[in-house]
Amino acid sequence: MTQRITIDPITRLEGHGKIEIFLNEEGDVANTYFQIPELRGFERFCVGRPVEEMPLLTNRICGVCPEAHHMAAAKAADMVYHVDPPHTAKLLRELLYMAFFVTDHTTHFYALGGPDFVMGPDAPVAERNILGVIHKVGLETGGKVIQARKFGHNVVEIIGGRKVHPCTSIPGGLTKGITEEERKQIEEMGRWAIEFAQFSLKLFNDIVLGNKQYVDLILGDIYNHRTYYMGMMDENNKINFYDGKVRVVDPDGKEFVKYAPKDYAEHIAEHVEPWTYLKFPYLKKVGWKGFVDGKDSGVYMATPLSRLNSSDGVATPRAQEEYERFYSTLGGKPVHQRLAIHWARLVELLYAAERWVELATDPEITSPNFHTIPTEKPTEGVGIVEAPRGTLTHHYWTDERGVVTKVNLIVGTTNNYAPISMSINKAASSLIKKGTIVTEPMLNMVEMAFRAYDPCFGCATHSLPGQMPLEVTIRDPKGETIEVLKRG
Amino acid sequence: MKTLIIGLGNPILGDDGVGWKVAKELTALIDPDTSVEIDCASLGGLSLMERMLGYQRVIVIDSMETGESPEGCVKVFPLAALENQYAGHLASPHDVSLTTALQAAQSIGAKIPTRVDIVAIEAKNVYDFSDDLSLKIEKAVPLAAEEVLKLLDD
Repeated sequence: MTQRITIDPITRLEGHGKIEIFLNEEGDVANTYFQIPELRGFERFCVGRPVEEMPLLTNRICGVCPEAHHMAAAKAADMVYHVDPPHTAKLLRELLYMAFFVTDHTTHFYALGGPDFVMGPDAPVAERNILGVIHKVGLETGGKVIQARKFGHNVVEIIGGRKVHPCTSIPGGLTKGITEEERKQIEEMGRWAIEFAQFSLKLFNDIVLGNKQYVDLILGDIYNHRTYYMGMMDENNKINFYDGKVRVVDPDGKEFVKYAPKDYAEHIAEHVEPWTYLKFPYLKKVGWKGFVDGKDSGVYMATPLSRLNSSDGVATPRAQEEYERFYSTLGGKPVHQRLAIHWARLVELLYAAERWVELATDPEITSPNFHTIPTEKPTEGVGIVEAPRGTLTHHYWTDERGVVTKVNLIVGTTNNYAPISMSINKAASSLIKKGTIVTEPMLNMVEMAFRAYDPCFGCATHSLPGQMPLEVTIRDPKGETIEVLKRG
Repeated sequence: MKTLIIGLGNPILGDDGVGWKVAKELTALIDPDTSVEIDCASLGGLSLMERMLGYQRVIVIDSMETGESPEGCVKVFPLAALENQYAGHLASPHDVSLTTALQAAQSIGAKIPTRVDIVAIEAKNVYDFSDDLSLKIEKAVPLAAEEVLKLLDD
């Protein structure tokens, strides 16, 4: 028997990202509201399922980053059963994860965020997509992008049992290992990935950094916010996407806190606003001060840029060089310009590829010891990984049979809800003055702010046409609609 | 002609899983020795395009929400009939549209299918988590399967 809870149609936006802009008496922006109907229903649906199903169920939260949910769920389920997987299992899971990261970051740069840059700010609208990018960078490069995705999917299939939606993680490890033959294939693909990552960084250097208009845009004030930054680090404070502790630095780059996954609730709280169903995570010990920048505001960001900012470096050599070049070019740490996220994403792409090869050549990677049978009674567990778009937290409570009784998820993009709102506000404010609305450029500037975060708003639906168009409504001080701008 | 039938959708999102149910029904109805392959997927855009490479013909079965037909109504049309609204912008911040993805693949010389048909079932309950289909959509499953079989004879 399902109980239907009716949600007001205005906020149940059916996949739309809806932005409401309120103007003041002078015709300038008074406030912007970015509304999202996040599918929190997932946490209810999972209650009553055996916890070992969670890596399979949470796969289906998203069609683009199922691997991230799978890993966070796997780690949470391990903790629920108080079992530590054998070293080989951890190596294999991280290896799968690095291949996934390469695929995801590649796709974002070339197909999603990249068009903003590679095409040039004055490129016609119809060219600002992957087709335009291929046209500009050449067919060979387009072919490399597809190749990178293919290799990534292959590795996920070999270790994870299935392309895109892995199914081999169970509490205590994996259901299978890999053969030497498979290992060789994986290593070869990884070496190709390293070259491809370096190629991508060079492309960015030539096309983006070589274009003054873009450099000005990156360094400009419109996308600049001084906030806290979050990322998962190993014991040397080097970025690790699969395991470690979560480190947060303040707007000046100083470490603010470093917490173990099980302690996340002591440090992260969620603020509620009446006009949206998604809550705003913030740093508990700083407090919620509103949608503002600065050290006294608990707003934090979790993105590739955040990870670079909250680290002391990258654990692999070529990526470390790029990390140093990144900061010396942009004037030191931390970097606050949101558009630099695209560059940071490419540094991470290189790290993921290098780490892929490191793991594929580890002597223990083909060991048959890939599972430890749990023996303790299941209770509660937290699994945290870095999803490409931010720190991902899965928290499960179960009964003594391992049946889920409660679920809490803080999805990558959720961390960034406040920063995204602030970026949209700033972009809109700079383009709407004295009631003059510049339509096309404004939507582009807002979308650019949005896209840099590589957001994922529970896009778990595949209903045709399956989209998340943007709708921007501009209202006068009384709330009357002046104009509605739509995309898609 | 190498043909792929894909049941598309999210199997735990209620009626969004109708594509999977139709695909499963078809495995009983279609002779396994033919050149027709049946699969289920939760993919879109680039990943879906990649799944289609190597086949001359693809039939996609999915839920559709237009609000223009009653729930359970089955519509059949070629992919080209779907307006590609996303030429200038993204289908989502997260992926490109299937049409754009196929064009991208073609531009770099990949062999994309020459014919892609869609069998779409109008549905509303595609945002709530459930393993099951609602009654109206359940009734549409054999009708949609019938349409796929008709397409194969086409």
